[in-house]
Amino acid sequence: MSKVEGGKVSGRQLMAVLVLSRVVPITVAFPMITELQVPQDAWIASLLGTLLSVPFVLLVVRLGLKFPDKTIIEYSELLLGKYLGKLVGLILVWYWISVVADVARELGEAYTIAIMPETPILVFMTVTAFLAANAARNGLEVVGRMGENGVWVVLFFLIVMFVLPYDEMRFRNLAPVLARGVRPLAAPTGTVVSFFLQFIVLGMVLPYLNRPKDAARYSVYAVLASGILMTWLTVVLVAVFGPTVSHLAMPAFSLSRMISIADFLERIEAITMGAWTLSSEIKLALFLWASAVGLAQVFGVSRFQPLVYPLGAIAVSFGILFFESTLDLQRFLQFKNFGLYSLMVTLGTMGVLYLAALLRGRLPVGPGVRR
Amino acid sequence: MLGKRALRAAVLPLIATIMATATGCWSRREIETIGFVLAAGVDEAQEEGKIQLTVLIAKPFAIGAGMGTHGTTEEKPFWVVSSTGYTVFEAVRNLLSQSPRRPFWAHNRFVVVGEEFARKGIGDVLDWFDRNGEPRRRAWIVAAKGAKASDLLQTEFELERMPPEGAMGLLKAARTGLSTVGEDMLNDFLQRLEGEGIDPIATRAEIIPRPQEFDIRGELKREKVGGSLRLTGAAVFRDDRLVGWLNKPETRGFNWITGKVRSGIIVIEKPGEEGKFIGLEILRGKSAFKPEVKDGRVTVTVKVEAEANVGDVQGFTDFIKSPELWASMERRMATVIENEVQAAVAKAQEFGSDIFGFGAELNRREPKKWADEFRDRWDEEFRDIDVQVEVKARLRKSGLVLRSTRIKK
Repeated sequence: MSKVEGGKVSGRQLMAVLVLSRVVPITVAFPMITELQVPQDAWIASLLGTLLSVPFVLLVVRLGLKFPDKTIIEYSELLLGKYLGKLVGLILVWYWISVVADVARELGEAYTIAIMPETPILVFMTVTAFLAANAARNGLEVVGRMGENGVWVVLFFLIVMFVLPYDEMRFRNLAPVLARGVRPLAAPTGTVVSFFLQFIVLGMVLPYLNRPKDAARYSVYAVLASGILMTWLTVVLVAVFGPTVSHLAMPAFSLSRMISIADFLERIEAITMGAWTLSSEIKLALFLWASAVGLAQVFGVSRFQPLVYPLGAIAVSFGILFFESTLDLQRFLQFKNFGLYSLMVTLGTMGVLYLAALLRGRLPVGPGVRR
Repeated sequence: MLGKRALRAAVLPLIATIMATATGCWSRREIETIGFVLAAGVDEAQEEGKIQLTVLIAKPFAIGAGMGTHGTTEEKPFWVVSSTGYTVFEAVRNLLSQSPRRPFWAHNRFVVVGEEFARKGIGDVLDWFDRNGEPRRRAWIVAAKGAKASDLLQTEFELERMPPEGAMGLLKAARTGLSTVGEDMLNDFLQRLEGEGIDPIATRAEIIPRPQEFDIRGELKREKVGGSLRLTGAAVFRDDRLVGWLNKPETRGFNWITGKVRSGIIVIEKPGEEGKFIGLEILRGKSAFKPEVKDGRVTVTVKVEAEANVGDVQGFTDFIKSPELWASMERRMATVIENEVQAAVAKAQEFGSDIFGFGAELNRREPKKWADEFRDRWDEEFRDIDVQVEVKARLRKSGLVLRSTRIKK
C-alpha cells in the first residue's frame, strides 16, 4: 500500500499538538464559560468533562492500534467495505474541515474584536490559514515539531495569564458549591466533551507514531494536561469576574486585560494573543494535514500535498460563509449546535467502526493488520 | 531549470523588500493622532434623554512645558471637553467634532458620575466601558457629591500637574493611610450589580472651592482654577441607583466589616481626664462576618481584630505606672470601632442597600435557605437584620517615650 505520508512523530509531539488543539477553544472564545448558568461551579463541569473524555480517547487509540499502519480513513474501508468506508472517511474529512473553518473564523473574529476592528476579517483568516497550510504541506513531522516547540511558549503565556491577575482574584466567588445541583452543569460539561471529541484526529496520527506503544499513554496525558489547564483557567476566571464571567466574548483576553502589577506591568494582552495565534496556527496545521491526507486516502491519490492549499482556501471560505456574525459563531460553538454535531460525527463514526470490528469478530486480514 | 532558479533569486529579494517596507496596516494608530483620556465623567445633558460625557485628555506637549527654568504653570497639561449623546458611545464619537486627536481610552482611570445623574441609575452608561476594547475594567467608579461630574473633572491639585494622577495619589493614600474611602473598580461594580445579596459602592468625592483672593507664591497661577478635590467616604448604590452617602467614619465602619482597613487614626477620649484626647494609629485590622439564620431571622456576627499603636497623647500620662489605663484605652478603642461598624450598618439599612454582601455570604453558607427564604425578599429582610459586633482591640506600642513630658506647674 502506498504511503501518502511518510513522516514519524513521537509521543510527546502528539501530546503537544493535542494539548494545543484543546487550548484553542479556551483561550479565544471559551464556549463552556459562555454557557454557564451557575458560574461558581464551572470548574466542576470542566473536570467532569475532562474525565468523561478519557474513555473516548482510549477507544480511538484502541481501535487504531488494531490497525497499526492504517489511518482511520483506511481501516474504515477495511471494516465497512469500500463504499460505506469511503462515506465515513468523507464525513470525517468534512468534520476536520469544519473545525479548520471555525478555528480560522474564531481567530479572525478575535483579532478584529480585540485590536483591529477596521481590518477585514478575511485578512487574518487568509494569512493564518496560509501559514498553517504551509506547515501542513510539509507533513506531520513539521506539525509535530511546531507543536513540541510551540507548546512551551503557549504554556508560559497561559501561566502568566493564570497567575498575574492575583490581586483581582476573589476566591469566595467560587462558593457556594453545587447550590443549584448538577443539572445546570449538563450543557457546559457537554461542551467540554464535544471539544475533546475533536481528538478523533488521533485516528490519523496514530500510524505515524514512532512508538505505537506510547499512543494510549500520551493521548490520555494530553486530555488530562489540557483538562488541568482548562480547569485552572476556569477557576481564575470565576475568581476574577464572578457572576459576570459568562458575559465575556473572550474571557481569557479580558482576563489578561485585568493584569496590573504595581502600575507598571500592565496592558499585556499581547500574551493572550500570542497564545491564540500559536495554538490556533498549530491546530489549523494539524487539522488541515489530517483532512488533506484523509481526502487523499479516500480517493486513492498518492500525494496529499496538492490538496492542502485548496482545502485551506475552502475552509476559509466556509469560515466566512457559515457564520453571519460573531454571535452566530458563539451560538454555533454551544452545546446544542457544535456539541451535538461533534457528538454525532465522532461518536457515530467511532460507534459504527467499533461495532463493525466486533461483528466481524476476527478483524479482517490485510497487510499490517495485527491479529 | 536555470530560468526557474534565476526567477526565484529575483522574486525572493523582491518579496523581502516589499514585506520590510510595506508594514502599514488598516488599524494603525499613530501616537500623534490620539489623545489619552485619563478620566471620564457622565452627567445628564440639558436635552431630554441625553447624557453628557466629559473627558479629561492629556496634553502631552504641555507636560514638559512648565518644567523649565521659568517654572510657569500657566498652561494646563490637560484639556477637559464635553459632548452629548443618547448613548455613551454616541457621545464618545461626538467628541471627534471638537477634539482634533482621537480620544484613546486604554488609560482611563476614573469613571465619574454626577450625583443627580447617579440617582437615576448608571447601569446603562457602564455598558460601553465594559463592551469596548479600549477602556478597561480597572477604572475606578467615583460619585461626585453635590456636584456634576463635569465640574469634578475641572478640579486640580497643587502637587500634581495631571489631576487624575493626583486623584490616584489621593485614593492610594486614603486607602492605605486612612481607610476612609469606599472603592469599587468597574470590575467589582459590575459583579456587585449582578451578584445576589450584594450592592455596589463607589468612591465619594467632593469639590473644595478655591477662595479667589487666596494667592500666595507657589500656587497655580492660572486665571481660572476649578478648585480641588477631596475624597470623603463612599457612595452607596441600590442596584445601579445612587441612594446615599457614607461619611468618613461610616466608611471606615464599612471597611472594618469587609476587611479593608489597613491603617488610620482612632481618637479616643483619655480615660479619667476630660477634654484630653489620645490618637491611636491602626496597625492592622482583621475581620470576618458570618450571617446565620435563627428561627427564620438573620443575624450577622461581625468579628473585628484590630491592633494599634499610641500615636499621641494629651495631658501627662505614664503608661508604665498605670497598666489599667492601657486596658481602658483598649476598651475605648473597641467601642469606637464598634460604633463605626454600627453606624455603617445603620446607614446601609436605612438606604436598604446591602453593600457588605451579607446576603451573598448567606448564599455561600446556606444556599438552600437563601434561595428558598431570602433571595426574593432580601431588600426588606436586610433592613432589619440584627448585627452583632465583637471587637478585639489590642494596643501594642507607645512610641519612643514611655511617659509624656510633665509640664511643671
